[in-house]
Amino acid sequence: MRNNVNSENKKYYKACCDIYEKNGQLYLELEMPGVSKENLEMKIENDMLYIHGKKNINNNNKDIFLLKEIRDGDYHHEYTIDNTIDRNKIEATLSKGVATIVMGIKESEKPRKIAISGK
Amino acid sequence: MALIKWKNKDLYDPWEDIRNLQDEINDLFNIEKRQGYTGLFDRNFSPAVDVVESENDYSVICELPGIDSKDIDLSITSNVLTIKGTKKSESEDKNGKYYKKESWTGSFQRTLPLPAAVNGEMIKADLKDGVLTVILPKKEEAKPRSIAVKVR
Repeated sequence: MRNNVNSENKKYYKACCDIYEKNGQLYLELEMPGVSKENLEMKIENDMLYIHGKKNINNNNKDIFLLKEIRDGDYHHEYTIDNTIDRNKIEATLSKGVATIVMGIKESEKPRKIAISGK
Repeated sequence: MALIKWKNKDLYDPWEDIRNLQDEINDLFNIEKRQGYTGLFDRNFSPAVDVVESENDYSVICELPGIDSKDIDLSITSNVLTIKGTKKSESEDKNGKYYKKESWTGSFQRTLPLPAAVNGEMIKADLKDGVLTVILPKKEEAKPRSIAVKVR
């Protein structure tokens, strides 16, 4: 998996991201608080995986921010997926603001043991 | 009472300079434009909080991704709101091979003194999509009032 150069748009930023491999599957976990299922968009174009999470911000101009730590803007990630990923085995779930994308690794790419036959 | 950074536009905020420096350093490395980096100093070990004051209430918005509502402990003493909780790792077994880990686990606590008294009975809290929203209605005496002055 190789990361791609981002577009110049400053409005987007990256979510906290964990990437790990377990049981022959690649897990991608993105923390996207404030993104509902309807506002999460995921697509694969050729070798690119796009993840876009829109945040719901209800701005009322009358309100005064006493403390502002949460960043405005949407989450946007772009990843290049290589041939080791099985395109038919990509699943995504979103729960409690965490998007989990599970990608199956092709059987042919997994390490395997070669039995040695001694004669 | 814990110290927190207040964002009052009228007051000089010494932390603002440090935040600007942080942004400048991140710009220098152009780190935010590179995929997969959340910035050099942007690791959060406590959840981000917004406090918004409107006419009738205060709303406290807190980003808590991946946390169950039973793991959050919300308490209020006079006008000090405390958000406590524990963030557990989603995958309990650590057998996986990590390529990148930016999320944090463990316990956190945020203490927020509110500038005016709130009505403790009427507090509403809601956890949705990893965002905790607490609405604290102001007490009647804390609401802005207009007093008519009779001119003779």
